[in-house]
Amino acid sequence: MNGEAELKVVNLRKWFPVRKGIVSTLLSRKTEYVRAVDDVSFEVKKGEIFGLAGESGCGKTTTGKTILRLLEPTSGEVYFEGRNITSLNKVEMKKMRRKMQIVYQDPYQSINPRMTVFDIISEPISVHKLADSLAETEEVVYKSLEEVELVPAEDFVERFPHELSGGQRQRVAIARTMVLQPSFIVADEPISMLDVSIRAGILKVMLKTKEAQGITYIFITHDLAYARHICHRGAIMYLGKIVEMASMDNLVKNPIHPYTNALMIAVPVPDPTYEKARAIIGGEVPTPINPPPGCRFNPRCSKASEICRREDPELLEMGTRHFVACHHAI
Amino acid sequence: MKILDVQDLKTYYSTLKGDVKAVDDVWLQMDRGEALGLVGESGCGKTTLALAIMRLLPWNGRIVEGKIRLDDVDIISLDEKTFDKDYRWKRMSYIFQGAMNALNPVFKVGDQIAEAITIHEDVEKKEALERARELFKLVGIDPERVTSYPHELSGGMKQRAMIAMALACNPDFIIADEPTTALDVIVQAQTLKVINDLQKNLGLTMMLITHDLSVVAQTCTTCAIMYAGNIVEYSDIETIFKDPVHPYTRALISAFPSIKEDRREMKSIAGVPPNLLNPPTGCRFNPRCPNRMDVCNKEKPEYTELNENHLAACHLLTKEA
Repeated sequence: MNGEAELKVVNLRKWFPVRKGIVSTLLSRKTEYVRAVDDVSFEVKKGEIFGLAGESGCGKTTTGKTILRLLEPTSGEVYFEGRNITSLNKVEMKKMRRKMQIVYQDPYQSINPRMTVFDIISEPISVHKLADSLAETEEVVYKSLEEVELVPAEDFVERFPHELSGGQRQRVAIARTMVLQPSFIVADEPISMLDVSIRAGILKVMLKTKEAQGITYIFITHDLAYARHICHRGAIMYLGKIVEMASMDNLVKNPIHPYTNALMIAVPVPDPTYEKARAIIGGEVPTPINPPPGCRFNPRCSKASEICRREDPELLEMGTRHFVACHHAI
Repeated sequence: MKILDVQDLKTYYSTLKGDVKAVDDVWLQMDRGEALGLVGESGCGKTTLALAIMRLLPWNGRIVEGKIRLDDVDIISLDEKTFDKDYRWKRMSYIFQGAMNALNPVFKVGDQIAEAITIHEDVEKKEALERARELFKLVGIDPERVTSYPHELSGGMKQRAMIAMALACNPDFIIADEPTTALDVIVQAQTLKVINDLQKNLGLTMMLITHDLSVVAQTCTTCAIMYAGNIVEYSDIETIFKDPVHPYTRALISAFPSIKEDRREMKSIAGVPPNLLNPPTGCRFNPRCPNRMDVCNKEKPEYTELNENHLAACHLLTKEA
């Protein structure tokens, strides 16, 4: 993990227009937008595991997908290995995709139920023309199955997804990603569908290959306890914006933003002697269609004052690589 | 007298491939006012156990043998009419998994709660609606919201409305099946607080079913660990976390991350939970157990009483004794 940024996201926005009925479309001039990702900027260093955390609807998955251009950004730039990938054309982007991959949350949906494990893993090889012969493809597929610890590989290649457990499916999905030898992976809640007892095994195969290949990760999760143990740094998102970004240690131990603090208090601790959360904030995340003016957290914030209702706070550096967007942090 | 007493319960599902032994020889007792966490991974039989207690098993599920007593009344042998009239929803209630999607979208929430009351009790609709408002207050929702439709409520409010509905006929025994699993962390904390307060203030006996050890740690007084259709360890909540004896309990606890710990490598349990069509012989955990001995795949371990209120079924304990 040296100083250079492998991935740089600058003022990224993804707004989805709200579809309305024909009458209201004809009558109103203004289109409303869901501001799923609204002016998000951050950097991820080479080999770093960067966590994107927050509650459902905060825009963490949309951020991940927009970075990979699986969704086209509304505005903003994404630099990967120094190149602005938002300006690449289709052919150039396809080449880039080999290096930038995603692992999805639900292995029951992300792999095709009518393909065998061999077909699933060999498909990206043929799409990107990485093998010259069937024998070579076979070799790569077998090796990748061994890497994700589905051994002996012969037992798995002919199977269909329904013949695999949830954990084995996720291993296949990881193998499919890894055959391309990507240098950057967005992992979108890769373990949240799986049982507790097998989660660590899945993480291990993902991170083992990380050490071997120096892969950079964006790890999207709602589970802060896992984020705490997996990620080096992380950002907390609320209604499409990053409210705080720091090392995982600092986020957990010294949260500055009132929302980060509220989240950390709410996380249940697997220790009965630990004092239960007392000051749980009320309310729920509002709709991102018409977010509150000023700081988006202000209606739920105990520290909210006049300026919070008026001005949107900027994400500013408060300590070494500790960024906070709060008027009251200064 | 125990409020709930489950003895040697076997509940199987018949499938084309044979019987799925979802609950096999389960023992469980609960005292009045106890908050028990029933913990296990998916497919271990925890929901089946709850459905058997509520007599709500699907068509292919059946209680093969065993006893379930509620206040010393054998509720399995009661005829359906009596059970429905006097027990289900009246004495005992169930908060379904994914309960927030269990509300009927075309009726107002208040009416749905009132309906449950009028079916079980001889009261006018007006009085039932008044009770619905009281229940809303109890779970921390503005009583005026009884006239809302489900889509007008947030996820957390729907979940509370379901809790209110479960309390509609003043039951004293409640089963909550993964009540917070689909909720975000802050709403989860809010909902758990509501459940916790209700359980204490109303003196409810509660069985909380979850896969999440941290939820149990912060909500329950006792804990039963279930694995592949068996309850492998039962104890008060402090002991389970401080001195777990069953290798599965130990492994599960160390696989569970805490936000309060320093960064560490996550541990997993080798292998996968067994298929309950053909569960392993002997101790069902033996194929995954780090402490496996010769006897483990031959004989099913009996419960050893380590302490008053601490039981575990493992051959390691009898060997040492």
